[in-house]
Amino acid sequence: MSLLHLDKATIKFGGLIAVNEVSFEIKPGQLFGLIGPNGAGKTTCFNLITGVYKPTSGSIKFEGREISGTPSNKIAHLGIARTFQNIRLFGALSVLENVVVGGFLRHHTGLGSAIAYLPPAIKETDELKQEAMRLLEVVDLAHVANVRSRDLSYGMQRRLEIARAMATQPKLLLLDEPAAGMNPQEKMDLTGTVRRIRDEHDKTVLLIEHDMRFVMELCENIVVLDHGEEIAQGPPSEIRNDPKVIEAYLGEAV
Amino acid sequence: MKFFAVRAGSIALAVAACFALQSFAIGKGDLVFRLVFLAGLYVTLAVSLNLINGITGQFSIGHAAFYMVGAYGAGYTANNYAGSWGLKGPLLMLVLLLIGAVVAAVAGLVVGLPSLRLRGDYLAVVTLGFGEIIRIFVQNSPPLGGAYGLTVDAQFKFKYVWMVWLLAILCIAVCRNLLKTAHGLPFLAVREDEIASSAMGVNVTRVKVTAFVIGSAFAGAAGAMLANFDGFISPTSFPMELSFTILTMVVLGGTGSITGSALAGGVLFYIPEYLRDLKPVSGSSLVAAVIAVIAAVYVVKRIADHYHGDKGKRAALYLGTIIAGVVLQIILAAVFKNVPSLANANFEASKLRMVIFSSTLIILMLLRPQGVFAHHEFSWSWIQRLLGKKVPTTAVSV
Amino acid sequence: MDLGVSLWAAFELSTLPQQVVNGLLLGAIYALIALGYTMVYGVLRLINFAHGEVFMLGAYTALFASWFLGYGKGSSLETSGPLNLMILLIASMCVCGIVGVAIERFAYRPMRSQPRIAALITAIGVSLLIQYGGALVLPIAPPPSINEKVNPYRGVVTMNLVGGDPQLLEGYEKAKIEFETTEKAWTEARASKQPDDVVRALRDKKNDADRTMGDLQRRMDNSGVKIRIPQGQLIMFGTTIVLMIMLTYLVMFTAVGRAMRAVSHDFDSASLMGINVGKIVTITFLIGSMLAGAGAMMNATFLGTPLTTFFGVMPGVKAFVAAVLGGIGNIPGAVLGGFLMGIAETAVIWAGYGQYKDAIAFIVLIVVLLFRPGGLLGSAKVEKV
Repeated sequence: MSLLHLDKATIKFGGLIAVNEVSFEIKPGQLFGLIGPNGAGKTTCFNLITGVYKPTSGSIKFEGREISGTPSNKIAHLGIARTFQNIRLFGALSVLENVVVGGFLRHHTGLGSAIAYLPPAIKETDELKQEAMRLLEVVDLAHVANVRSRDLSYGMQRRLEIARAMATQPKLLLLDEPAAGMNPQEKMDLTGTVRRIRDEHDKTVLLIEHDMRFVMELCENIVVLDHGEEIAQGPPSEIRNDPKVIEAYLGEAV
Repeated sequence: MKFFAVRAGSIALAVAACFALQSFAIGKGDLVFRLVFLAGLYVTLAVSLNLINGITGQFSIGHAAFYMVGAYGAGYTANNYAGSWGLKGPLLMLVLLLIGAVVAAVAGLVVGLPSLRLRGDYLAVVTLGFGEIIRIFVQNSPPLGGAYGLTVDAQFKFKYVWMVWLLAILCIAVCRNLLKTAHGLPFLAVREDEIASSAMGVNVTRVKVTAFVIGSAFAGAAGAMLANFDGFISPTSFPMELSFTILTMVVLGGTGSITGSALAGGVLFYIPEYLRDLKPVSGSSLVAAVIAVIAAVYVVKRIADHYHGDKGKRAALYLGTIIAGVVLQIILAAVFKNVPSLANANFEASKLRMVIFSSTLIILMLLRPQGVFAHHEFSWSWIQRLLGKKVPTTAVSV
Repeated sequence: MDLGVSLWAAFELSTLPQQVVNGLLLGAIYALIALGYTMVYGVLRLINFAHGEVFMLGAYTALFASWFLGYGKGSSLETSGPLNLMILLIASMCVCGIVGVAIERFAYRPMRSQPRIAALITAIGVSLLIQYGGALVLPIAPPPSINEKVNPYRGVVTMNLVGGDPQLLEGYEKAKIEFETTEKAWTEARASKQPDDVVRALRDKKNDADRTMGDLQRRMDNSGVKIRIPQGQLIMFGTTIVLMIMLTYLVMFTAVGRAMRAVSHDFDSASLMGINVGKIVTITFLIGSMLAGAGAMMNATFLGTPLTTFFGVMPGVKAFVAAVLGGIGNIPGAVLGGFLMGIAETAVIWAGYGQYKDAIAFIVLIVVLLFRPGGLLGSAKVEKV
């Protein structure tokens, strides 16, 4: 069974069709890439999957369950987490706190217990912090755990976004241009991190990326969007030679 | 076991301190007694608004409305129903306080709900409007005394300074506990970024409404205390400016800082009260003071913006400027004494107090816009850091 | 629990047109003040709480200008002319412009790089400072008002929309002739020194005729639908509309206006594009405050409202609400919001809930925001994710 299944998902903003009848399926454990030129509708696809927008038509199924129109926070509870293209960290909170927010959706103590500062809430807070520390180690941010997240460097902020999303313990992780603005070395490290997330933490990953080499190297299956339409789908070797894709990326070495 | 022993001990200590405060205040005459009482109320109001405004980031400028709702809720219930309950003293006050809190919490829920869709300034206007609507309706409601106000029956007048301060401590404790556990983080996250919070599974709606409900419940409880302390409330006791004053306390203390709100609540409430008792000021010294203050503020601002030397030198420069300002005021006042039109004009201190209050506000904002405490909380680690030690900077640290 | 809110209302349909006009007249002033709020918000994203106080200072300026022209208390001067009104208007607009720019320069500019809430607290501080500081130096007790002689236009313009009952009219005409003849007879009798009892009888006859005529006139007036507008308010309305047209021209068709719109659209990009943002902000404050000054002068002169330093608070708050109602930052929105607010307020008074006239502004606002979170003409900005 597929983990995520988009079936003719469409969204219109006024007269503009941002995503037009896009369909693809992601199987558990896959590393899936979503590529396309600027304005192709990739991020809009993410927004549809995570409930920021409701599709005008078509369906989005997660583990066989229709999720289009479900609010973002419920989707996070179902097991989809994301990062943002234009980083959206909780700037005034520390790196550790950012990750704890992600883990908080699995809390089981009540607000009353927290307000009264009772042992269950204290214990839970400690557990969440420890868990968050482990995740920070995965993305190599443990040494800055107590720094305010807005004071981090760009590359670190991107990694923190991944850690925060991971903290929700998602089945599907959506990464929106995780390598944007990184230098080649950082990108190399990121490739390793994403692989580790998939292999060691047993996640399915859907990522948007501009850097072809990065995507081709990392992903096992790729969907190509252009002007909101799906123009190709398949493993990197096929995509690389698809004439439509070459046309869409005219001039760019694929 | 140790945990509960410490907890019981600190509660006992707080209660004892509140009773000690009561017996201290009683000995100082009616005026001081009332001031101590009101200070407790303002601390509660400021800290509770800080939960909505500073911690959750929901821009509410109508906090006085919840205060008012609580006051009228408790006052009306006392007059019409409490007689038959057979309760007395602190227990009765406690019940009335809970009623005030519940009524205000319901009002908070009503205001919190539209906040689901509104942001920033729009929400601010709605909260402001809500306050005005409530005030005008009370003004025109005969059962609530209309514009003449509501007199609470003498048997329900309770002069419990201790209870107000316990309320204030409870309010501070609730906010502090919230921020000490992971449960507080969604509140802060909503303030920082609603979309990202939602993507992390935070129910933004619920967080906002919770903040409004808790914050307004405390304001309502404070209102109930006021109604039963003074025995009289009227719509004019809760003007729009009161909301602004409470908001000012929160911002001046440092938005989001519980310590800041609590201290600013006490201090800012006290400044105008203190100024009430000053002697009339002559025109010459007033004009001199205005000039000296403007000059000093200008210089301090220049230093703050352009001097990046070490801390000690900077502090010395500030101090020097302040001294120079005082000297300038004295000299100018002496000079202006010779201008008859100025020297003969007298200004009553009671009229000056709001002027001084608002000037303080502007000057503090110009010189320290992040508030006195910024986002810091009073804690040992903060003191250590001030003294130059390296310690973790955030509440939830490893 | 009966909260004493009476549900009975007294609608008088024949007064509807009059009420609509009253609403528009009131709304024009709100719109004029609202423009100041909305323009400042547009460029700085700041609620200029001191705007109502600028309005108040404008009214005081008009008062002082009228004193300067000799229309103090118990002035023996004749009714003034339009020239004096112009002097008052220009004085108010200039002083308000200067005050507005000064507030921006000394209180808001240093706060520009700070969080918005800090700037807002500063605005509240400035507002309180002007209210209470003004009370120290400005005359407040008893609240002075501008001598009514300053306003040469004290007549009332009457417009008949639907004529009175023709029968009543006919009766009235007859009664008028009757009155005129009896009056003539009485005057002649008195002039020709007729005996006292004859004169008295004629006088009684005349008085009877007068009473009948008056009665008929009243009934006739009530039977028609007409609008009465004091000339002063008509001038006020006209001036407001002219000012709004001038503002529209300035914003839409001049270089300054284009720069203003650019700054309002994106503050940082505008400055990168070579626009002198500081200058544009100053101009915005200048224009917004001058509009408030014009509104204040007309309000104080034509309505003769007694002044205190809190004179600007309520109009300020309502105009602000009007600006938000229309979509804050949106200039046509402020005008629409102002008119709506004026009409809503008159409607409430008309319906017999006069005591709630200050609440209606907010009720309308909350209802509108529930359905359109960005105000009527504003767009609720969808955040880009």
